[in-house]
Amino acid sequence: MEVIRNIFDLSDIPRKDLTVFGIFSLFLLIFPLIPHSSFAMATMIEFLMFSLYGMGWNTIGGYGGQVDLGKAQYAGIGAFTTAVMLIHWNIPFWISAPVGMIFAIIWSFAIGYPLFRMRGHYFAIATIATSLVLLDVFQSWNFVGAAKGLELPLKSMPSLLYLQFRSDTYYYYILLFLFFFGFFYINWFRKSRLGFQLRAIKDNEEVARSLGINVHWCKIKTYAIATSFVAVVGSFHACYNFNIDPEDIMSLDLSILIAMMAMVGGAGSLWGPIIGAAVLIPLKSYLGSWLGGKEGLAGLDLVIYALIIMIIAAFEPRGIWGIVEKARKRGKI
Amino acid sequence: MSAILQVQGVTKDFGGLRANDNISFSVEKGELLGLIGPNGAGKSTLFNCIAGVHPVTAGRIFFEGKEITNLKPHQVARLGLARTFQIFVASGDLSVLENIMVGSFLRTRSRKIARQKAEEILVFMELQEHVDQWVSELPVAAQKRVAMATALATQPRMLLLDEVAAGLNPTEIDQMMGLIRQIHDDRGITVVLIEHVMELVMNLSQRVIVLESGKIIAEGKPEAIKQNPEVIKAYLGERYVAKIAEAEGKA
Ligand SMILES: Nc1ncnc2c1ncn2[C@@H]1O[C@H](COP(=O)(O)OP(=O)(O)OP(=O)(O)O)[C@@H](O)[C@H]1O
Ligand SMILES: [Mg+2]
Repeated sequence: MEVIRNIFDLSDIPRKDLTVFGIFSLFLLIFPLIPHSSFAMATMIEFLMFSLYGMGWNTIGGYGGQVDLGKAQYAGIGAFTTAVMLIHWNIPFWISAPVGMIFAIIWSFAIGYPLFRMRGHYFAIATIATSLVLLDVFQSWNFVGAAKGLELPLKSMPSLLYLQFRSDTYYYYILLFLFFFGFFYINWFRKSRLGFQLRAIKDNEEVARSLGINVHWCKIKTYAIATSFVAVVGSFHACYNFNIDPEDIMSLDLSILIAMMAMVGGAGSLWGPIIGAAVLIPLKSYLGSWLGGKEGLAGLDLVIYALIIMIIAAFEPRGIWGIVEKARKRGKI
Repeated sequence: MSAILQVQGVTKDFGGLRANDNISFSVEKGELLGLIGPNGAGKSTLFNCIAGVHPVTAGRIFFEGKEITNLKPHQVARLGLARTFQIFVASGDLSVLENIMVGSFLRTRSRKIARQKAEEILVFMELQEHVDQWVSELPVAAQKRVAMATALATQPRMLLLDEVAAGLNPTEIDQMMGLIRQIHDDRGITVVLIEHVMELVMNLSQRVIVLESGKIIAEGKPEAIKQNPEVIKAYLGERYVAKIAEAEGKA
């Protein structure tokens, strides 16, 4: 089957990169077996979650060049679907997550259809606006717990079905499975017909149209793919945290952080979101624990992220991976 | 022979400016037609109207008997009418082969088939040496060939070429001339070319249409157009007469 071969086709990637990724994958596989603090485990779990968020964002934002700053709304839809279905009807994660994904996709079509008539900055601002509107709706909607959010009922026994475990190691391996699934999906996507068309659109929309590409529809489809990734991680987040609050899961902060993974790591590259998450999440955890104890410094982390974005925009729009590729062209690596 | 393209009374206004004024002509299946005229005559605008980039102000357009007036550009392309742009900007992160694959993906979902088709066209358009380069790194002549290759990869039955010889040196013009001839003769694609390079357009075209200020002012065989006093006066002037003498001297 051609598709199966394409999913695992990494033939265009330099050996060196594959070696590094192989070693890193091995590390991810055995990490829980190495002695570690619970802080390190929590950071690793967040790293995997944000890699996945970033991989999703990278489809429309990186390969497609459409800067989306409203992804948190889809994380919220995923998380609340899973929570509500568990609380009201005792439905397991493996059913509620796909349902949440479908809700998110439907919402993404409703949002994407008008929004993709806009260009550039207007699109980016509109995605922020729609996400904040949905946040407002959730904050005043009693069925989903309004501003208080929802608490997930604890099962009496750990359960794979409901994604409830006593130890983080189980959550970690579930996420790791999703991580590799996402990675190989993106590897297929980037060289699929849609991937090629999207890159052509990023290059020049008018030329893309002249080659028979329905630009508007391509963007909407890709937006739905990005949304699916984010919604599933949102559902996972609900089970992992047991407690979701719209202010948290649907915030502008989260939207920006999702966008930053690929932007910092390298937008439109396979490694970008992973590199971005590997750099930013430990930074975020560290800053969080450090700032947590210091009154009056709240919000400093946002200032630091803003600085990082400005530095990237000014010096290397293709992020860390762009720096690596430039150095490689000059023959240094 | 039957008409592959019919343009009936097409008018295009940009605000107060009439860029195309009641233009009617048809292109026969298998023809190689030249479209010339001074800067700002409305040639590119006419291509854009046919290809669906601009909605027309008035008039109708038919491709293979089917009305395509005001279809979207991607719909026109899907019907088998491809075009290149006068100004070709490729900024981005697609290699030459990948660019051509974007074109071939119009007719297939399979990466393998798209790649095979693209490789075949890459060789045909004499781009082998550039296969893995970024388009923005290439010399102008090669960029123009990439644009043509990408359009060809969509497997069109008709191709509109907008100034593909502009900015080329004499050797490159010869190469381009050979390629256009092959596209037409060997691939059986109907070609319309907008061109300022007289040597090329007069040598290749079976028929030439002259546009000035949005109107057709002359139409006929290249030899007749070269002699047409109206054309010489309106567009070509002394410079052209000299060029033709030179071109004929060469031949
Ligand atoms: N999108 C547009 N909006 C407004 N005016 C336009 C537009 N496109 C073209 N025009 C105007 O229409 C007229 C015809 O332009 P067009 O580009 O069709 O000429 P052309 O024959 O292709 O010239 P050239 O040989 O220089 O390419 C010009 O006066 C031009 O300024
Ligand atoms: Mg023009």
